Amino acid sequence: MKDFIAPPQAPLRPPDTVMRLSRMGSMFPTRLSFLRTLMRFLAAENARITRRSWQMCAEGYGHAVYCVDLGGYTYSLVAVSTKLDPAARTDRVIASAWDTAYVLYDGVPDADEVARICATAPKQEAARFTERDLVLSRANKSVRLFAHVVDRLRAGRQPDAAMIRDIGYLMRTTAVYGNGKFGIADRACIDTRPGFSGPFMAEMLTVWLIRHFTHDLVEHVGQGRLDRNLKRHLGIGNSTGLGMAPFLVTHPVLLNNWMLARETALARVRAVAHLNEEMQARLRQLMKRADRHLAEWQVPDLAHQRRIDCLCTDWAAFSAKVVPDGFAPENAIEALIDRALSESEDLQELLVALVIELFPDLVDGLADCMADPCGPVPEPIADTGGLRDVLERSFGWALALDYDATDQCRQFWYVSEAKQEPRLGDRFAEEGAALESPLDVARRMKALHDDLPQTSTALTVFLKEHPEHLMAVERAALAARYPYAEIRDNLIGQQCLPIDMLRCKLSFFGASKFDPKSDRWTRITLCQGAPLADELASRSDDWWLPVFEG
Amino acid sequence: MSWSRAEVLALATKAARGAGAPPAQAAHFGRAAAIHLGQGRDAAALGQALDALPAGAIMRMPLQLQELLLAAHGTVQHRLEIPTGGQPSLLRSYLETLPHATEVVAAHGDSLDVTVDTTTSAPSLRLGRVEGCAALLAQMTVLAARTFVPDSETSRRAGAGAGTSDND
Repeated sequence: MKDFIAPPQAPLRPPDTVMRLSRMGSMFPTRLSFLRTLMRFLAAENARITRRSWQMCAEGYGHAVYCVDLGGYTYSLVAVSTKLDPAARTDRVIASAWDTAYVLYDGVPDADEVARICATAPKQEAARFTERDLVLSRANKSVRLFAHVVDRLRAGRQPDAAMIRDIGYLMRTTAVYGNGKFGIADRACIDTRPGFSGPFMAEMLTVWLIRHFTHDLVEHVGQGRLDRNLKRHLGIGNSTGLGMAPFLVTHPVLLNNWMLARETALARVRAVAHLNEEMQARLRQLMKRADRHLAEWQVPDLAHQRRIDCLCTDWAAFSAKVVPDGFAPENAIEALIDRALSESEDLQELLVALVIELFPDLVDGLADCMADPCGPVPEPIADTGGLRDVLERSFGWALALDYDATDQCRQFWYVSEAKQEPRLGDRFAEEGAALESPLDVARRMKALHDDLPQTSTALTVFLKEHPEHLMAVERAALAARYPYAEIRDNLIGQQCLPIDMLRCKLSFFGASKFDPKSDRWTRITLCQGAPLADELASRSDDWWLPVFEG
Repeated sequence: MSWSRAEVLALATKAARGAGAPPAQAAHFGRAAAIHLGQGRDAAALGQALDALPAGAIMRMPLQLQELLLAAHGTVQHRLEIPTGGQPSLLRSYLETLPHATEVVAAHGDSLDVTVDTTTSAPSLRLGRVEGCAALLAQMTVLAARTFVPDSETSRRAGAGAGTSDND
């Protein structure tokens, strides 16, 4: 057996730098993003998508079944398309009807199973599912683009390239449920299967197959074929709200593992001593691609567009400074990262994603470290003295704040009784704070610290007197082993922008073209530029920051 | 109808919170409940634990796990007698949530003689779907609903940060 020798690496960036909301809200997808990992796996498996069934009327209502063989298993996407009253078209969790609904099925469904899924999938949360159903999802049309593409294809023409470039998807998923929701299979049923051990792999496969279905559907209704370059630029949209944010708090080990993999990748590439001519050319090429991607990233929200425009300008200026002289062959990556330290967090994080992209051999294996197969393994703390040390060493960011000040506790997270939609309220203006969800980690750490006795006491004795502090104690016990487990900001403060948490998580999925609709809701594009089903062998792994090729 | 273990975990966690448990104790209960029912153990034990809040097993057992982990820390294998509080099957389920390999060596009256091996990860449990505990699930559903904030126009309009129409 060969010994594994870890590549050299520079020091990791400290959690106090990395785990701030503003930086997390500046993240870009990388080659460690889950969709990228999935595409590499599909290519390695030489996966072929077959359309097993297509029962669709001329207007595009009916169902379809796609199958793919992976790692010795067959998975099927059952897609159900129904007519939707425009008045009912909302991306919110409170919706009760959608244009399309999907189940990723374990195996090949027979006619009875297809009929069952066609009856249940359109009901989504209101229905019950089985262990053969691995993922449940739904998507709404971008009505404007879908209708335009249909009209153009019916007229024997290709759609307007600018519309394809600017909108970028035919449908938006509004939920992609995995891991046991509404009776579907637990993740534990599939997480040892080839390709599915990484986080959200079944969900990502579903999303990619849905994108494929949307292409087929629009071509079916339009009775024509889309140009390949246009089709490749049509990803799959997604609308995401607050439901995604608590996940990062309630899964501290996963968050740590995702961030640690990414930071380790950066540390490895920073340690690259020599950049040959080929690598320098590739670096210049990716910098140009980033420039084009930023120019094509247009959103309706004025504030966010200003932010993109600033980044665009800054990036152009930064590139102009670093590119013309050529990159120093020695320690070029480290020098680039250092030069960016005086730039915005947006630019720094874009550069991080870019340099990671350059080195698949150093980076891609880290994707295997991003799951959490064992659950938290805490470092036991014996007494309150030891606990105090941990809190003051690892949670100083939380201890410094005054949570009685209105600006530090204005917001509260809660779950509405309306379809259990996660929401955020104003503690001083709305009812419901008594039912607050426990995302107030920083405040709890401070409260624990305040209640520690002056004289060190056995921790179990302390917890018997203060059981309300167990959550804070358990999070403290994770700090030594999982340095990136905590978002180092006050999540109930007035300044907290949940959109930062959403962008962090979505960037790990591989999302691009963030299109915020508020500080707690965003649209994104997934799979834009990703290989089409018949391109896995030829272009599976070069679609970081997609640019329009129409 | 069968339930996934993730559903049971989420529902039991919310139910415990709705019944008054602090968040961490509720989360422990959720994990233990999913294993408990997945192992086909007595559903009534979970209902009793919820009924006993704000005292009882849901408050006590997470601290017993803390004591066990602390005692075992730095050792290869540690043996400890743990009182069950009259709920041996539920204590077994709590023990099976630990990341380390644990084994109930013997039962003595109202306690379990447990070994924990901190050098070995807990084995993967072969758990089934959850079926046939409708009364418990109904009880948990009622308790979980206590954690939901009643809907209001303000909440509906502003709480999610999105409008209610997406015809674009």
